[in-house]
Amino acid sequence: MHDADIKACEEVIEMATVAESKWEIKVPDKPLKDKVYFENLKSVVIDTEICSRCLTCASVCPGGIIVVGDKVDFPDYETKCLDCGACVRVCPRFVYEPLSGMGSSTAFIAGRSKRFAGQDGAMVTELIVSAMEMGIIDRGLFAGRNENWETEMFHVCDPEQLAITTLSGTKYTFADVLPELKKAVKFTKSGVGVVGTPCIVSGVRKLQQEYPIFREKVKLVVGLFCTENFHYSAISQYLCDKGVDFSKLVKTDITMGKFIATMTDSEVKFKVKALEEILPSGCNVCCDFTAVEADASVGSVGSVPGYSTISVREAIAVKILDYIKEKGYAEFGEADPGQLGFLVGHKKKRAENLKK
Amino acid sequence: MKKVTVQDQGVVEKTKCHAAAIGVAMKESVYPLTATVQYPRQRKKMPDNFRGYILFDPDKCINCWECAFICPANAIRMKEAPNKKYYPTIDYGKCIFCHFCIDSCTDSALRTTKIHDVAYKDMDEMVTLTEEMIEPPEIVREDTKLVEYLIDDKDLQMKKTREVDNLFVDEVPPSVEIPVVSQCIDGASCIGCHVCEYVCGSGAISSSIANGVMNMAIDTDNCTGCGLCVKECTMQILKLVRK
Repeated sequence: MHDADIKACEEVIEMATVAESKWEIKVPDKPLKDKVYFENLKSVVIDTEICSRCLTCASVCPGGIIVVGDKVDFPDYETKCLDCGACVRVCPRFVYEPLSGMGSSTAFIAGRSKRFAGQDGAMVTELIVSAMEMGIIDRGLFAGRNENWETEMFHVCDPEQLAITTLSGTKYTFADVLPELKKAVKFTKSGVGVVGTPCIVSGVRKLQQEYPIFREKVKLVVGLFCTENFHYSAISQYLCDKGVDFSKLVKTDITMGKFIATMTDSEVKFKVKALEEILPSGCNVCCDFTAVEADASVGSVGSVPGYSTISVREAIAVKILDYIKEKGYAEFGEADPGQLGFLVGHKKKRAENLKK
Repeated sequence: MKKVTVQDQGVVEKTKCHAAAIGVAMKESVYPLTATVQYPRQRKKMPDNFRGYILFDPDKCINCWECAFICPANAIRMKEAPNKKYYPTIDYGKCIFCHFCIDSCTDSALRTTKIHDVAYKDMDEMVTLTEEMIEPPEIVREDTKLVEYLIDDKDLQMKKTREVDNLFVDEVPPSVEIPVVSQCIDGASCIGCHVCEYVCGSGAISSSIANGVMNMAIDTDNCTGCGLCVKECTMQILKLVRK
């Protein structure tokens, strides 16, 4: 027998010992007893307008029939829902305990990548690519955009792919991260790295809590500092009214309470408060600014322009940062966590909206 | 790969063949231009496992669609039958007679015949419906009959033979037992959507709910190893393993 054959036999035998023909599934509780699970989700989360549009439900729905527009929907759920309860099991807001504060942050560092150019310090890209180089992950999920600034998901398997300039920069519109994460988990061999807003991070953690396959495959979760996010249709309409031409738009940013849209020849500035009228209802109850459940969170608040603040929480993030320091991929400086305090407090007040 | 070989013939058989050859030569000298097989009055004997017209047994079909997936010529379309199951139809205008469908058929619902001379009047007629694949095709004659044929039910070929040669292929039974069964490798990641249960044609997967816990079970004796549940599982936690 060839070595390869023996190896193949061993693999088969090994698999046979792991595989089982009987298994158990915990069935989640239904508040509305005689209705399908999606109707339960709809009544508890979507109709009460606390849905964050993190799309965790859409990513696990076995039929893939949960539709994602501005609002999560499921046409004909009465007849088409398989009633498995997966959406209810993973929804971070079905049993909502708002998170806030800084989480278990052990350190705050300001950093700027020498390899990548980004809106601020490009540290998100740096973290994911370094993890890829270290062999922790073989696939990173990035939210890119098309010419009309609609978000599109990219699977980055090679740092060279980051030459796509549309991957960096803040978009301020929802991205369909989690359905892509499910696909990435299918394809990956060593692990996946994912970047997302606090709601997406909560979704990933909930998936990991419920399903071992995600615990095993999602190795790195990078959170983004987030005050709010917008529906594409609403914000594009709003910006068009303000005179923003998407074909010339280079960068969008929020600094010092002002929304700045930079175009090739001009700039449009207005107060962020003005955007409150198009604020999605799900963001209105969110208290999490720093993505407290992420391995590390990144944002521009708390450091000088050109640098990103990194809030380090888990050992894996420390390991990656040590690697970056060792290789000299980034410059590091002091971050001021005090500046975060204001925005953390600002979001905390929103918990009152939930009570209403 | 099976080698096509000629049977080792004894002296008697060889003498007979020589005599037959001399006979043909004699016949040719008396009646010229008759040395070739006089199809359709004479017919060649087809070897076993000949790739001919395809027959279908709906009772054995488990609805796995494997034949339609594997068909390289895209000749197989699945059509809904009155019993809500999907059965194959074959477009002989596209079929290349590779018989991958028969090889891939897990429950040998599809089988080959030695019938190779089927004629159609137009392209539409070449789309063979499931009903037409259950029985061997009917012999319809419009000519003035020189020869009579019948389809031999046992051997599934048109009879009116004169043995011309002794070609044979080692016979392979059409369906060997499939040594794999579907198993779950990560029960904790199961979302309990029942998709595996719905697609399983042999009813090997069952579920029951008791006290807020759903119990899933795969009956390895009934599992045919078709792999349909493995393909459809949204969490990719089912695998085919050897029995």
